[in-house]
Amino acid sequence: MTHKQAKHIISLDRFTIGHHKENALLSKLNLTVNRGEMVALIGRNGAGKSTLLKSMIGLLAPLDGMCLLEGLPFADYTLPQRARRVSFVSSQITQLPALSVGELVGLGRMPYTGWMGRMSPEDRSLIKQALDVVQMASFAERKLDCLSDGERQRAMIARAFAQDTPLMVLDEPTAFLDIPNTYELIRLLSRFRDGGRSIVYSTHDLETAMQCADKMWVIHEGKILEGAPEDLGMSGLFNELFSTSGISFNELAGRFLFSGKQRGRVYLEGEEGKPLIWTRNTLKRLGFRLEKGADQLIKIESSNDGCSWVLQKDSGSFRFESLYTLARFLIQE
Amino acid sequence: MKIPSRSILIIYALGLLLIVLFLLDIRLGSLSITFADMLTHINGKASLSDQQVLILTKFRLPRIATALMAGAALPVCGLQMQTLFRNPLAGPYVLGISSGASFGAAIVVLGAGATGIVATWSLAIAAWIGAGTVMLLLLFVSFRIKDVMTILILGIMFSSGLAAIISIMQYFSQASALKSFVIWSMGSLGNVTGAQLTIMAWAILPLLMLTLVYSKVLNGLMLGEEYAISMGVRIQRTRLVIFATTSIMAGTITAFCGPIGFIGIAVPHMARFLLNRSDHRILIPASMLTGMVVMVFSDIVSRLPGTEQILPINAVTSLIGIPVVIWLVVMNRKAQSL
Repeated sequence: MTHKQAKHIISLDRFTIGHHKENALLSKLNLTVNRGEMVALIGRNGAGKSTLLKSMIGLLAPLDGMCLLEGLPFADYTLPQRARRVSFVSSQITQLPALSVGELVGLGRMPYTGWMGRMSPEDRSLIKQALDVVQMASFAERKLDCLSDGERQRAMIARAFAQDTPLMVLDEPTAFLDIPNTYELIRLLSRFRDGGRSIVYSTHDLETAMQCADKMWVIHEGKILEGAPEDLGMSGLFNELFSTSGISFNELAGRFLFSGKQRGRVYLEGEEGKPLIWTRNTLKRLGFRLEKGADQLIKIESSNDGCSWVLQKDSGSFRFESLYTLARFLIQE
Repeated sequence: MKIPSRSILIIYALGLLLIVLFLLDIRLGSLSITFADMLTHINGKASLSDQQVLILTKFRLPRIATALMAGAALPVCGLQMQTLFRNPLAGPYVLGISSGASFGAAIVVLGAGATGIVATWSLAIAAWIGAGTVMLLLLFVSFRIKDVMTILILGIMFSSGLAAIISIMQYFSQASALKSFVIWSMGSLGNVTGAQLTIMAWAILPLLMLTLVYSKVLNGLMLGEEYAISMGVRIQRTRLVIFATTSIMAGTITAFCGPIGFIGIAVPHMARFLLNRSDHRILIPASMLTGMVVMVFSDIVSRLPGTEQILPINAVTSLIGIPVVIWLVVMNRKAQSL
């Protein structure tokens, strides 16, 4: 099998990683990444996510086993050959060079330029394309230390894009980002995937990963489980994964819930609509079970001005103008 | 990326300044020799006296050549260290490389009491070995410890430790040897003549060319070693080239001129500040040029124009370099970035 025909861009064969021979973090991994596929690597802190990614792309030496890149052992490629196949975005850079965004993205063309780094029109157009794709064309002259976290991460990703590799490996690219920036970034990666590139990225953020990854690698008890997000969801893995952390995975809703204090039963009455949905959310968040015949009854009364909540219980009836005041009352009971 | 015209203008301005300072430096001294006199002399019309020719060829031109080479090489050493360790305060002095060279020189001057042509070579070799040993130690440590601050602190410790050993050697050495070592340690551009100058040129000029070839690779190192490897930089070879060029260049200059402080650390920052760029393809030549300007200027200052006195060059460069470093640490919040 020549590398052009290899089906998998990456395939790990009995791959064993860790920092010491006696004490492997993860052993005998057999995993694959297909072309045009986005793989999310999930695991708790210290589970070995970074070590796996770095071992996979030759930044760390594996303890045992092999990583095949386009069907050939990784060690068979020279460094410049690797650099044309795999690009990398690290979880953090401690020290920012005083480069402009354009210069940073230009570094991505290093594997293609001559010894003086002179750029061809092709190189320039790829740099421009990379800046456009992360929507930072107007930032080209801006220095890196004048960027926000989200902008900087996008610039780093533009650099990897300009490296023009069939595989991009990203170590916790969303670690320092807020929710809108996280979604923006994952959307960007999905677009690269749709353009035919393979993406492997590690994250803590199971929810966004479930919405966009083609495949998940979940590190659990020294093993990696591989499958579509939904396969893993059906298997009940996620509940096991978070069993000690006070979070439960609602397998029917496909989302996570905090499993906090339990507060007993309550019955909710009201017309179908927004107020009912949000009131239900509030009660669930507080740890109430909603059951018919409970001794506490909450009625939602809608009028033109908005709505109010009436709590009926043995000790009397109370009216609340917001979910917040209702919640405060229920907690203090 | 295209080099902006602002950078070109600054390079031209520095070049012009260097020529002016060069002409001034030739002229200054007990015997005034103008550049015009020199040119007519070269053209075959003997307008200079034998004494003037002697002063020019044996003293002034070698001294200026030394200043130019030291001025070009030391900032390149500092710049390479700053990029490799990703620390703006790195430099041959801070990392103990100059101290290693001093230690080698101290063994030759204080320990063996060597003089003459034997001393010329043994001084250079001892300084290379001293600088190279410190460099190898730092290289070894930097493989195991990734934290640049730790490496910097270790460099300072090496340098203090070697200074302590040198002072013990000084305490137990002969008065004449002690005097020549103390004079050496004050730094001088004027003692490099004949064979020494040839050795220095052979050691430094090819390596300066090599660092220019490595400027693209240094750009790749700016994001750290992991990124560099992922962009195809052969990191072991690059480290070796950087460490070897730095210890040979800094070692040679320290051997022949004595320790010249703060040029290595301060000049790259001057160049960065002037150009407002970090691209090594322009920063390395600009640092060389800036360094040459600063060294020739320091040489002029050290000769105290109008007097017969000469200040130690190490003191002059320190007084120029220290404010730059202080400004870097205190005033400039971008000291965190390279």
